[in-house]
Amino acid sequence: MTQLDPLDSIRTSVLEIRGDGKAGGGLVLAFQSLANLFLRDPKTHVQEWPFFSSARRGANIRSFLRVSKAPILAACEVTRPTMVVLMDEGTGRTMDFALGVPPGGTFILNTRRSPEECARHFHLSGRVLTVAGDDIGTKHLKHAIGNVSVYVAMAHAIGGLKADEIVEAFLMTLKKRRIPESIIERNRHALEASIGAISSGVFEESASGDHAATPFGGYGELPVGAQTALRLSQTNRTADFAPSGFRLRFEDPKIACTGCAHCIANCPEGIILFKPDEERGVLVTGVDVNNFCKLCRECIAICPEDLFRQVPLEDIWEEATVS
Amino acid sequence: MSVSEVKAGPLPHVTTPSGERYEGAIDLSRVREAHPSLYDHRDEITADGNTAAAIATLQMWRCVIFAGFPITPSTKWIEYVAANLASVPGGRRRVKLMEAEHAVADYMVGAAASCRDLIFPTATSSVGLDHMTETTRSLGASGLGNVMIIDVYRATANFPLCIEGDPSDTLAHRDDGFIQICARGKQQIYDTVLQAPCLGMHPEIMTPTMPGYYGIKDSHRNARLIVEADRDIHEFQDRWIFACPLPGLINGDTAFGSCVTSRHFQGFKVAQKRRLDNVLDFLPLIGSDFEKQFGRPGLRFFDEAGWSEDGAADIAVVGMGPDFGTFESLRERYAKQSGLKVAGIAIRLLTPFPRDAVRERLRRAKTVLVVNQAHHTGRGHLTLDVVDALSDLKAPPRVVSVFAGLGGADVAEVTWERMLDHARESVEGKALPPYAFFHEGVAL
Repeated sequence: MTQLDPLDSIRTSVLEIRGDGKAGGGLVLAFQSLANLFLRDPKTHVQEWPFFSSARRGANIRSFLRVSKAPILAACEVTRPTMVVLMDEGTGRTMDFALGVPPGGTFILNTRRSPEECARHFHLSGRVLTVAGDDIGTKHLKHAIGNVSVYVAMAHAIGGLKADEIVEAFLMTLKKRRIPESIIERNRHALEASIGAISSGVFEESASGDHAATPFGGYGELPVGAQTALRLSQTNRTADFAPSGFRLRFEDPKIACTGCAHCIANCPEGIILFKPDEERGVLVTGVDVNNFCKLCRECIAICPEDLFRQVPLEDIWEEATVS
Repeated sequence: MSVSEVKAGPLPHVTTPSGERYEGAIDLSRVREAHPSLYDHRDEITADGNTAAAIATLQMWRCVIFAGFPITPSTKWIEYVAANLASVPGGRRRVKLMEAEHAVADYMVGAAASCRDLIFPTATSSVGLDHMTETTRSLGASGLGNVMIIDVYRATANFPLCIEGDPSDTLAHRDDGFIQICARGKQQIYDTVLQAPCLGMHPEIMTPTMPGYYGIKDSHRNARLIVEADRDIHEFQDRWIFACPLPGLINGDTAFGSCVTSRHFQGFKVAQKRRLDNVLDFLPLIGSDFEKQFGRPGLRFFDEAGWSEDGAADIAVVGMGPDFGTFESLRERYAKQSGLKVAGIAIRLLTPFPRDAVRERLRRAKTVLVVNQAHHTGRGHLTLDVVDALSDLKAPPRVVSVFAGLGGADVAEVTWERMLDHARESVEGKALPPYAFFHEGVAL
């Protein structure tokens, strides 16, 4: 097995990278940031794009990246990548993230497992890098999101890049998204922590035919209602559609709630908490903001007593649940 | 200009057959001076297609009101514009968020008719474009060339819902009367949006424009983008955009609201069609001038790949959009392996279709492979246009029609190879069905 050198691919042809993860898991941001990192060199051409459906958080998504010293003409999806990313181990249970990767490719996984364990488990031949990105995200961002670490691991695997430019390119992507400065600083800490947290090794664990793409066999019977089930699933969290850095807060210390129930009727996610009340009919007691509240502001607009507010996440940082 | 700054008393006005024009109601020189420059020199940035389109509109001094319907999944054009304008303290340009897409189109009619020398852009996609239809069909005839609807191609109002790129929305709206131009890649999107108003507002054309690009495949794809200095863009546009001689709608109140007799209606439609046909004369001139100023290809009828000087080809591909790039990337290899001359064109001007130019380009091809990416009840929108263009020839090339990439499905290298193999059978004399579907290298 000859190990394929990503930098050599960039110089002589094109480096093709594919990533698999879940919607809301930061995969797209990691790939965009890597694209920005390479575009700092005016002689490098980059093409980066996501593939996702109309499904909510939790659905499988993909990201693609091509990097080359020559102009990139191809617009099709990357099917024979020399580098792949598994952002979410859950995705790896339902699809082959290493599909089409030739022996000697590079495999990057967001996991607590070691490279050896991953190589054996997924039958990988080539260079395997692992990083416990969710743990780093939890520590520095209070959110189990591994994209910061995976981005660093990708840059590390490609090589030839300085640590400070790796950090700055990611932060620049966040700034373009108008992320608050305090969150950007937390990301800086996560980036710096990721640099020393990557494990890697070269393994030869795949057998002949592993990860080979099977020919397309036509569409067959179209599944009726497939999308409907996906869209209505309560496992698809909508909370991450909320504006960055804010959360909804319900406060009623004087029990001013009139029991009008407008908030309950207007909340599209059904997350207003209430209990029966003899005097009012119902008494609103709170709101479950952790999973489904996307800060649509319906409750804020409708409550006659102004009991709902949008507050900066920083204000309620300590009480925020780490997800 | 604020209301308090308007001088008291009647404005000087000019009577025209279709109404009165009030001189100086809008002081264009002040609008131009008040433009907040986005870039004062040529720069290189990273952008996706939606951002490229938004930046281009923000850089035009004639764009002062940006109407739009937010939360369109395919395009964040209005969100980008709004965020940018909000970052300019005291800025006088405005974003107008409307309750629905049809309201956006209606709003633009009023604004564009009132201010014929300013440009009114918006962006939409698929169902949003369909919601505008009642107004776009009238807009197409109105003479309001200062309206620009940027369409992010998506499967049009369709079942099932699909948010991926597919040009069936723009192709379903070909008879709305707009000038429709397809762009592929960030740079072409940016450059096309800058040139489109020059075409639409030309006195010989006066027809609204609909530049567009594929959803996801181009709207969400990031790459390097060269942005020009605002002042250079203004210099270019000012060479092509002249003071409009007419007030309001092109034929007074005829285009909206009032009813006319069949005789006048037909005459109106003849004039509309002739104005649209004039695009074929002026588009190359504007494109050539753009290239002269900025050093990049300007508007063209189509992009070309692999043509020899004598124009001969065994297989000539006709396609559109970013997937044509995948064909370009494998064309040489396929030609070498097959021993065939393989060339192609990616259509840029969809409406009016440049039939003469297409015919001349394809004249010496043996087989023309037309790749359609939009749902069509017949052999495909592009196929019908190409067949029509070639019909003037005594011995036209064989036309092979295929569908691929519907709903934004990936058109992989193996799919292109399989489609070229399919066309090769025609070169070898085999009779083929009227059309065929391809995906993942397989004929369906």
